Amino acid sequence: MLWLSFRLGALNAIQYRADFMVQLFQSLIGLGIALGGIAVVFSQTDQLGGWRQEELIALIGVFMLVGGLIAVVIRPSMEQLMEGVRLGTLDFTLTKPADAQVLVSVKRVEIWRLVEVVLGAALIVLAMVQLGERVSLERVAAFAVTMLAGVAIVYSFLLILSTLAFWLVRLENILVIFHSMYEAGRWPVGIYPPWLRATLTFVVPVAFAITVPVEALVGRLEPATLVGSLLLAVAFLIASRWFWRLGLRHYTGASA
Amino acid sequence: MSGTPEQAIQVRELRKTYVVPEREGGLAAAARSLVRRRTREVPAVAGISFDVAPGEIVGFLGPNGAGKTTTLKVLSGLLHPTSGEVTALGHVPWQRETAFLRRMTLIMGQRNQLAWDIPVVDSFDLNRAIYQIPAAEYRERVKELVELLELEELLRKPVRNLSLGERMKCEVAGSLLHRPDVLFLDEPTIGLDVTMQRRIRNFIAHYTERTGATTLLTSHYMADVEALCRRVLVIHHGQLLYDGDLAGLVTRFSPHKTIVIDLEPSGPAVDGRIEALVGSPDWLVSHAEDRLTLRVPRSETAAVTTRLLANLQVADVIVEEPPIDEVIDLVFAAGPADAQAKDAR
Repeated sequence: MLWLSFRLGALNAIQYRADFMVQLFQSLIGLGIALGGIAVVFSQTDQLGGWRQEELIALIGVFMLVGGLIAVVIRPSMEQLMEGVRLGTLDFTLTKPADAQVLVSVKRVEIWRLVEVVLGAALIVLAMVQLGERVSLERVAAFAVTMLAGVAIVYSFLLILSTLAFWLVRLENILVIFHSMYEAGRWPVGIYPPWLRATLTFVVPVAFAITVPVEALVGRLEPATLVGSLLLAVAFLIASRWFWRLGLRHYTGASA
Repeated sequence: MSGTPEQAIQVRELRKTYVVPEREGGLAAAARSLVRRRTREVPAVAGISFDVAPGEIVGFLGPNGAGKTTTLKVLSGLLHPTSGEVTALGHVPWQRETAFLRRMTLIMGQRNQLAWDIPVVDSFDLNRAIYQIPAAEYRERVKELVELLELEELLRKPVRNLSLGERMKCEVAGSLLHRPDVLFLDEPTIGLDVTMQRRIRNFIAHYTERTGATTLLTSHYMADVEALCRRVLVIHHGQLLYDGDLAGLVTRFSPHKTIVIDLEPSGPAVDGRIEALVGSPDWLVSHAEDRLTLRVPRSETAAVTTRLLANLQVADVIVEEPPIDEVIDLVFAAGPADAQAKDAR
């Protein structure tokens, strides 16, 4: 299903090739600003809240990779979902003999945003080379697991937000709020004041998608956090599915 | 109620009530509604029951807002009803079981399901994957649909470049690729020109005849209903006013027939005798030149016609039912109470 969506997304995107250049340019600027910020900080000090430069580069990498994944499929699909609820175009998705949650979650793909995913992955590799022997197989595995869990948490979180559309009908701005909170994830949550740290961990769970995987990669992850992240991911997936089904019951479509 | 297999669709006491926000116009009222939303319950479907046998094509008639679309949406599993029991092909639609969804389709004339920016054939391909249609069957069905609906030229164009009629043909084709056993058609011909309406209609007739699919159709064009449906359901204000064949609807709700008589121009003047011959001055609608138009109670039709034929030099006689649209108007004007009093299907 995801593959089909990608195929369609690619077909769509290829019609608008100029977008690719714009996207590439935009991602490179974003990357430049992020790395520049790190360079500025580390020209003054050699660690930030206990984080070293190459660790922060890995963090930016994960920030871009996860942000890219959200931008490629989750965010466009969720926007489409909310629009579908408002305009009633969700009707046709619901008449299809496939899991509706899966269908809406991969409904739209913005293929050019893959640029960000690629850049993010490249940064992570670069950081891993810099980290050298501190990177072990176990750590990479823990990194992969926590990042998957993090993506699952963010996805579930966005699905829950979008599902609110079944009751509130019009709330496009809700994803913008998430987006600005996500921006805060480009720095380790540990450097923020406690209230913001708590918000980024428990209210808008950005920390689990960015800080935690990097901690795993550089070997400062506590086993409890790993287990907690996995449990939270499972809980979020179950809760979002339950909420989605509840939302569907309230779907009224746009009367025509 | 149990899903007796001899009925394709069973509906019992179906109700669907929407809760809609409501407020006065104006900014002040809008601000108040931010704090406290007033809502109102709108019954869209207020307890209707009917059965549809496999292979039957049933027309759904009713003015805008009568509850037709809501009923179709409940039947196709989009909406959960407020109360009542429904089975379609033995399934409860809103449980949205795969086995049910694979066997039904919903076509809405006012919405499109084909992706806007990509060629039609890619949308078809997406449906092939979703419905898991084997490749060989898929190719064969596309070929057949392309021939029947003349889609050859359209398949490779993006949907946004198609005219409304072309798009509707593609919508219909795309919705039937998985060869559904139940079709829910909500105004499939809306906005189309007469020729295109006929094309779509003929195609639907062809499809249902070949596959024996059960079909529920709503349309504001009586031509659609007359051509496709032997049986009609009339609903108004969410209630079923009539369930039976189209001819019966006319007999029930229109107590009159129209008689048009052309007189021989060379015949004797008839002016003085007309009213006596007709029987009642109320029945004479017009008398112009050589043409008499009468509106006569159904039971008197034969007698009046015989009397006129015997006493006048008649060139031509036409006895006809009033136009179906007029009858429908009468049904809606009659209202639920009246209709139920007459109800004796």
